[in-house]
Amino acid sequence: MRLQLVLMGVVGAVLAVGAGAYQLSRIGIHQGYSPAQPIAFPHKIHAGDNKIPCLYCHYAARTSRHAGIPPASVCMNCHTILEKQTVEIEKLKEAVQQQRPVRWVKVHNLPDFVYFNHSQHVVSGVACQRCHGPVETMERVTQFAPLTMGWCLQCHREQAKLPVGEFERATLSLKQRQKPAAGLDCASCHY
Amino acid sequence: MDHSGSNGAKGHCKSPKEQLVQIGGLAVPEYWKSVEELQNGPRYKGEFPGGLPASDARTETTRRDFLAAMGFTLAAAGLAGCRAPVQNAIPLLVGSDDIIPGVANWYATTCRGCASSCSLLVKQRDGRPIKIEGNAESTIFGGGTCATGQATVLSLYDDERLRGPLWHGQPVTWQEIDQHITDTLRASEGSKREIVLLSGTITSPSTRRIVAEWQKRYPNFRHVEYDAVSLSALRAATGQSFGRAVVPHYAFDKARVIVGLEADFLGTWLSPVEFARQYAANRKPEGVPALHVQFESGMSVTGSNADVRVAVAPSQLGLIAVALLRRIAHKAGTPPVAGTQDPIEAKKLDAVADELWKHRGESLVVSGSNDISVQMVVNALNAALGNIGKTIDILQPSLQRSGDDAAMAELVGKLQRGEVHTLMMHGVNPAYDYPESEQFLAGLEKVALSVSFSDRRDETSSHAHAVCPDHHFLEAWGDAEPVESHFSLAQPLIAPLFETRAAQESLLKWVGHDETDYYNYLREFWRTDIFPRQKELPNFDAFWERSLQDGVVAVSPKSTGAIPKPVNLKPQGDWKAAVDKIFSEAAETHSGTAENHFEVHCYETVALRDGRHANNPWLQELPDPITKVTWGNYAAIAPSTAKKLDLNDGDVIRLTAGKRQLELPAFIQPGQDTRTIAVALGYGRSQVGRAGKNVGVNAFPFTSIERGQRRYFAGNATFEKTGRTEKLGSTQTHFSMEGRPIVLETSLEELHKGAETEEETSPTLWAERLHGEHAWGMAIDMNSCTGCSACVVACQAENNVPVVGKDQIERIRIMHWIRIDRYYSGPEEEPVSVHQPMMCQHCQNAPCETVCPVLATTTSSEGLNQQVYNRCIGTRYCANNCPYKVRRFNWYNYTENPQFDFNMESPIGRLVLNPDVAVRSRGVMEKCSLCVQRIQLAKNTALQGRRDLADGEIQTACQQSCPTQAIVFGDLKDPNSRVSQMQRNQRRYKVLDDLGTRPNVSYLKKVRNPLETA
Repeated sequence: MRLQLVLMGVVGAVLAVGAGAYQLSRIGIHQGYSPAQPIAFPHKIHAGDNKIPCLYCHYAARTSRHAGIPPASVCMNCHTILEKQTVEIEKLKEAVQQQRPVRWVKVHNLPDFVYFNHSQHVVSGVACQRCHGPVETMERVTQFAPLTMGWCLQCHREQAKLPVGEFERATLSLKQRQKPAAGLDCASCHY
Repeated sequence: MDHSGSNGAKGHCKSPKEQLVQIGGLAVPEYWKSVEELQNGPRYKGEFPGGLPASDARTETTRRDFLAAMGFTLAAAGLAGCRAPVQNAIPLLVGSDDIIPGVANWYATTCRGCASSCSLLVKQRDGRPIKIEGNAESTIFGGGTCATGQATVLSLYDDERLRGPLWHGQPVTWQEIDQHITDTLRASEGSKREIVLLSGTITSPSTRRIVAEWQKRYPNFRHVEYDAVSLSALRAATGQSFGRAVVPHYAFDKARVIVGLEADFLGTWLSPVEFARQYAANRKPEGVPALHVQFESGMSVTGSNADVRVAVAPSQLGLIAVALLRRIAHKAGTPPVAGTQDPIEAKKLDAVADELWKHRGESLVVSGSNDISVQMVVNALNAALGNIGKTIDILQPSLQRSGDDAAMAELVGKLQRGEVHTLMMHGVNPAYDYPESEQFLAGLEKVALSVSFSDRRDETSSHAHAVCPDHHFLEAWGDAEPVESHFSLAQPLIAPLFETRAAQESLLKWVGHDETDYYNYLREFWRTDIFPRQKELPNFDAFWERSLQDGVVAVSPKSTGAIPKPVNLKPQGDWKAAVDKIFSEAAETHSGTAENHFEVHCYETVALRDGRHANNPWLQELPDPITKVTWGNYAAIAPSTAKKLDLNDGDVIRLTAGKRQLELPAFIQPGQDTRTIAVALGYGRSQVGRAGKNVGVNAFPFTSIERGQRRYFAGNATFEKTGRTEKLGSTQTHFSMEGRPIVLETSLEELHKGAETEEETSPTLWAERLHGEHAWGMAIDMNSCTGCSACVVACQAENNVPVVGKDQIERIRIMHWIRIDRYYSGPEEEPVSVHQPMMCQHCQNAPCETVCPVLATTTSSEGLNQQVYNRCIGTRYCANNCPYKVRRFNWYNYTENPQFDFNMESPIGRLVLNPDVAVRSRGVMEKCSLCVQRIQLAKNTALQGRRDLADGEIQTACQQSCPTQAIVFGDLKDPNSRVSQMQRNQRRYKVLDDLGTRPNVSYLKKVRNPLETA
């Protein structure tokens, strides 16, 4: 009986510590984060049903470290000619009329001590969905990936398959050489 | 293995000390950093030289406290993890092709940090200018900058700038103030009292046109230009000698022999960026380097670079010029020059005169003296040597200083007599920097209207009726003509932060141009005045676009009438009278300066210049290139004088010259003239802002006006000890050299012999590290480095290096990632100096890495020593184990911390931060990253263009700012890269290589080329 109690206590303690440790290890991870936006913008209708390419709106992702949320003027490229009216579209038009930029809520947040560059990944042919998930099916955008360092490195390790020796590298074809190698150095992202 | 290498080298194995070459009469130059070290030896005194930095009171931590703290931490961490922080993203309302968040744009503009008007290229990120570079398109200035120029971007984000115009100290609208001013101006019409615009040097031709419009509109208008540190005598003397009152344009790159008389042309004088570039190009030891002789009283940046430096008192400079002229006249066989005596050893002067004569037509004598007689004699000297038209250009002169001391003195007289109705002040602060500032202020009381364009309430503007704050130059349109026919355009990089208005716009409004704004006026001026002077582009719009993009335009010179034709010793003007005047004055000062009487020499420092940037904390914290003191000025005293009078560093003395008195700490300066005490100008601002207020003391009262010209020295000064001491915020004695060969030098002779230095590879336990695409490395030519410190500020701007303040510096906690070590060798009366930029050496076998318990610092596959802030736990083992002492520890949060009330405390000041570099928090180590953010960006750009990186595509911040191109960065894997070539140079060496650290940073030895005096 006493032994059982002790055992239960031990198991309980181990479980508690384990759960605590797990919780601690999840600090700063916001996978599944899905905040409400000032305008309930449905990616599903735009990127899914109407098949607007991601880079049409997030054009900065091609050249900048930030993918960027499109300026309202980009929305108005279509919405000036589209007849459909909803409460949400009204909000957008009102913002444009009042010259009041929309205050969106950022979904994907990286800590300040990490540098991430969208353009580097877009140019290297990494699909947006690889990190952002099936955005074209989402009514409200949700953080798909954990965005942890381990998660980044998983992919980088697969990609970093550049031959090590001078000879092997010299014999690579030009096309292959231009294939970007994902960095594994700390200073690839931390500076 | 590696043993074979070391065995092979055994025969040649020299101790590093033996590698040092002989200079002068010294067998082995023993380098020393301070007088204390020279006298007491290099061995360090205990673990904490200068005592333990004030330690906090220690309290016992009980087990219970520990557990409570731990519990709290866990709970806090748990809570923090429960909630996602809400961050907002606010895109532009209307997109633009030009502004993409996260992508920097570069625009050409023109610096207004001083009147040199260097052409700049400014980095704008997300609508904010954040970094200043030189404009490599400029044929005058090249791609370099100076420390002040680098720091001007921070002045833009100075939150003590005025938010809008003031009328009698009260905020008003622009309409109101315009009404007040135009009403008062109208009332002055018909009055005999003058309307005066008092400005600093105006290099902007369009602004000069506006001034001309005032002259047309108001017959009683007068324009007076006033420079706090003036070259007025040089202009006047050139006028008297050659018939054209201009500041000549000098060509230091065409001179084989350069003689400087108290002209700090590498640091502060006239156009230091331009001159440093010419100078370094002309002194490459691989060719035949130009000889440089400097006569000066205090140790300046220029003097520290000279081959021969002679310390003389300021009053003796004229005699030196006369003595040289006498010798040249003798050689030329022209009528002899009066007098026979020499102020210094005759054989030194003989040797200098010989060199000058040998290189006539390719020599250059420049003087920083503001005495017309001295400048007349220097003109005669240059004319006799045939330098006019060769190294000295009077036809296309420099327009960088046009202050007129006599006109200013006259204006002060008029002010006092009440003859001035309206006084408008632009870019001047006479209440601070005029020697008789009380008289100026008394006169200012008598005007009907005083207007200041100052950007803040300063010593002068706080007495003005109206303050109409001008834009910062990064917010403004403008143009400049630093050298005749060489134009530079300026364009705004950001919309004005505050309700300020361009001074030109105000002037246009008040003179009746209600409709035109300055931009349109400027463009129209360029259409009518500059466009016709070029033939390349037939269309003005195309010309304007191209000029804006390039920033610089050179056009054909205006035909100016008088062409000076100086023949030998016959320049116009009475230089003989000048010689007599020099004799009489020197005799006067000499007899006046009795035993224990000194001369006080007032000079500008590379950081603060004339004091206008005193509220810039980057500049306040920039160590002086020579003394390495920050945050304040001091009285530099020769070591022998200090010994005689029992003075130590930091002893506060009371310095008296005439009626003027100052109390400031003493600093023992090797190489200082024994009869001169040097005091820096630009300190002691009483009204400037939080950072600069009352830092140091104001030395301008020690300047005076003698025969219409400002004099920057005072004779007959005495001093007494006050018994107090003050700590100097010095970064100099932090790291002793411990007698090790950190700086190596060679002689020109040795170099041209071509003796190949043996490559000693010390054995290593480590495997080869560099296995990546690239191997980044750096090479620093110590022969080109002048110590100007532009790189230090450039690094600070690029890498978000915090300002820590004087108190922290006293505790040895400066944060600069690059420092410039200055070492002396030789006797303390005549030391030989060398400047060595020192930053993380990016060792392949880095001692810091092996002691880090958490692998926060590691070598990358491309040879960078990486510091990972988020992994660092702050043991500081790495800093202790670093032989180069380049690691910096964040003892505090320097951001958003009221204890450190500098730019990173203010929300406006933080706008200067580089978004591509993390702001470090408390408890982490940091150091030079070789600007890894620039490497990564260039790699990405190459990737986008599907091409390989080109050599020179990546420039580190220090490299880019360097006016002499002393620093080269690149890929060591590419054998043809510039850095690889430099690392194969005969002069290369690595600092403390015998430790086996294998740094990726190499140095090229300093080459000595002393002048033989038989």
